[in-house]
Amino acid sequence: VTSERKIRANRANARASTGPKTAHGRSHAARNALRHALSLPVYSDPLLSEEVEAFARQIIGTDANPEMHEPARRVAEAQIDLRRVRHARHQILSQPLSDPDYESEVMLRKKSALVLRYARRFDLSMPMPDDVMEILSSKPQGPYKFAAILADKARELLALDRYERRALSRRKFAIRAFDAVSRRNLRIEAALQT
Amino acid sequence: VFTVTKRADLHSKANSKTGTKTSALAMVQPLALFGSPALLAGEDAAAYHQLVSRFRAAINPVDIIDEMLIADVVALEWEVLRWRRLKAELMRMRELKALQDFLSNHLYLKHYRKSFVEDLTEILQDYLEDQTEDDARTLAHKCAELEPDAVNKFNQIVAGNFNITEIRETARVFKAEELAQDYARRKPSTIKLISKLLAWADTSIDALTLEPLVEELDNIERIDRLTTIAETRRNAMLREIDRRRAVLSEALRRQVQEVEGEFKVVEKTPAEAKNAA
Repeated sequence: VTSERKIRANRANARASTGPKTAHGRSHAARNALRHALSLPVYSDPLLSEEVEAFARQIIGTDANPEMHEPARRVAEAQIDLRRVRHARHQILSQPLSDPDYESEVMLRKKSALVLRYARRFDLSMPMPDDVMEILSSKPQGPYKFAAILADKARELLALDRYERRALSRRKFAIRAFDAVSRRNLRIEAALQT
Repeated sequence: VFTVTKRADLHSKANSKTGTKTSALAMVQPLALFGSPALLAGEDAAAYHQLVSRFRAAINPVDIIDEMLIADVVALEWEVLRWRRLKAELMRMRELKALQDFLSNHLYLKHYRKSFVEDLTEILQDYLEDQTEDDARTLAHKCAELEPDAVNKFNQIVAGNFNITEIRETARVFKAEELAQDYARRKPSTIKLISKLLAWADTSIDALTLEPLVEELDNIERIDRLTTIAETRRNAMLREIDRRRAVLSEALRRQVQEVEGEFKVVEKTPAEAKNAA
């Protein structure tokens, strides 16, 4: 049995570690869900809910059994969610990749440090040496650029991965539920025909 | 009593049902329905569509949910290929850079003399307009051997605008780049030369590329993680398709068993038997 002292300590620890404390942290966390709006249900968007209904109708096909509607809608909802997450993930990668002037955050910091170091040591009215200029004007290319983007966007990609995992799981169980209803209906239909 | 006629009716119903589904599927444009292909800049859309066709032909979708799962398998497979390609390219570039740096420090004059002489000849020709190309080339050859008189003459001609050591360094770096590219293309003569240079320096290509690869370790790990995620999800999709097939075949088997169990051949009436005789 957990002692009273331990319970009190656990509760105190839990109170001390639940979410952001500072005003900046709280305002940042409050905006988390708005970044991609992926935590909002698809039915909060009229356009998306229309898509869900249309997709559900396609899943059901010609089967008019009303029992099929709910599981089909759940499959469609999860699929539309999945599409939203994948679109957001694609944007995160494709936008910087198609930007010819993209510079990684790490390199930007290094370049700023280089300029500051140079400014401290030399007169800024003098032209910078060629090797310094070469570093400052260099841009990542090819696989280095892609790797730099992955490094810069790692946190965002990880967050989206969680959304994708949840949507995939919901869709898997929705498909299973839909299949189960379909099978049951088939059995009933066959029984009625005999 | 389940008669042959009744069974035939059921078959025709089943066929008509399949027919309806097939025509509904034919109307579906899978890519548009499940979102446009997530292609990045420089990726081949035709290759993606070819992959879709191959998977559809292999899996043979029976309904829209199958289509949805196939679209996912293709997208995930494409992603796996993308990450593998990126990793291979990253490692290859790092290897090339390491080799290039090694060659820049270990090439002898005999390896890059030709391009050194070419560069010197070109510069001299700009200054010696009244002389022939052969004269410029002869002087360039002597400069390349660092003959003091020739070097002095060169310095006088170019009036301090060029530094012979810098030109030599540029030629060496240029040759190192060229050799590294040839090595990547597996040119036999270059492989032989580089193997010899590595042996002289008492090192190997593996040792050479180890350090730069360690620098890329974070990136490689990140790419590996993305590859694993995509592979796991692709395999899960394939398992899901398998499961649906198993369920479908089980349902069909049960239907067939039920139908077989209830099946009875309708006895011919005496009149029909007589007619048949």
